Amino acid sequence: MDWLEDELRRALAREDPPDGFAERVLARRERGTSSARRWLAAAAMVVVAAGAAGAWRQHQGNQAKQEVMLALRLASAPMDRIQSEIRGITQ
Amino acid sequence: MLTEAVETGYDFRALVRQHQATVFSIALHFLRDRATAEEVAQEVFFSLHRNLHQIETPAHAAAWLRKVAVQRSIDEGRRRSRRPQVALADAPEPAASIRPGDPLLSELLRKLVATLPEAPRMVMVLRYQEDLEPAEIAAALEMPVATVKSHLQRSLALLREKLARRGIGESGWTG
Repeated sequence: MDWLEDELRRALAREDPPDGFAERVLARRERGTSSARRWLAAAAMVVVAAGAAGAWRQHQGNQAKQEVMLALRLASAPMDRIQSEIRGITQ
Repeated sequence: MLTEAVETGYDFRALVRQHQATVFSIALHFLRDRATAEEVAQEVFFSLHRNLHQIETPAHAAAWLRKVAVQRSIDEGRRRSRRPQVALADAPEPAASIRPGDPLLSELLRKLVATLPEAPRMVMVLRYQEDLEPAEIAAALEMPVATVKSHLQRSLALLREKLARRGIGESGWTG
């Protein structure tokens, strides 16, 4: 074995990280996991709120449509009566 | 933790303990900064946790960690533009009685390796820290085997020359 390669293996031998490294990694993972959970919860709330708003708008739209239809029916009843009276006169 | 081990087949805590020296040392020998090396090593393990479901075997975990440690170290080195952090002129002059196995010689070699360009520096770290064969280094660095061999030969020749100028070498051991 070449002396320089021997010296390089000695110089570049593996070293352990500072004490508590594994604990810091695990703590960071925990922080990352709880942070991801918070983001997921927030995203779920936004989706639910958006869905509820959409449903409310649809409900309001349906209600308005029903009111317009009722108004049209109410308005068309006298018109029908007048038309049938006109038809009677002309005949 | 138990759920995680059951779901993925791996105990993350055990993986960290088993591979922490490898990951930390790759970053340390490449960047020559303990605080940055720890930061990089933490990121590597954090990334492993996110990708634990992809790990197929213990050997795959070791290779995955080594590859990601290499990539993150190179990225960090580029981001910080630290190369060459230690100019050759800053390397310590050897003591008059420097001998093989001397801690001063080890420190001088680490500093000389740190002055190498990015690719040959990482090749040297993987060869002499991890004891990888050129083909394994080529796979980790995604470069041809011939390039790895060329980096190794040129780097060794360069280091030999720089050491010889300091009177260090087989034909010139001082003391």
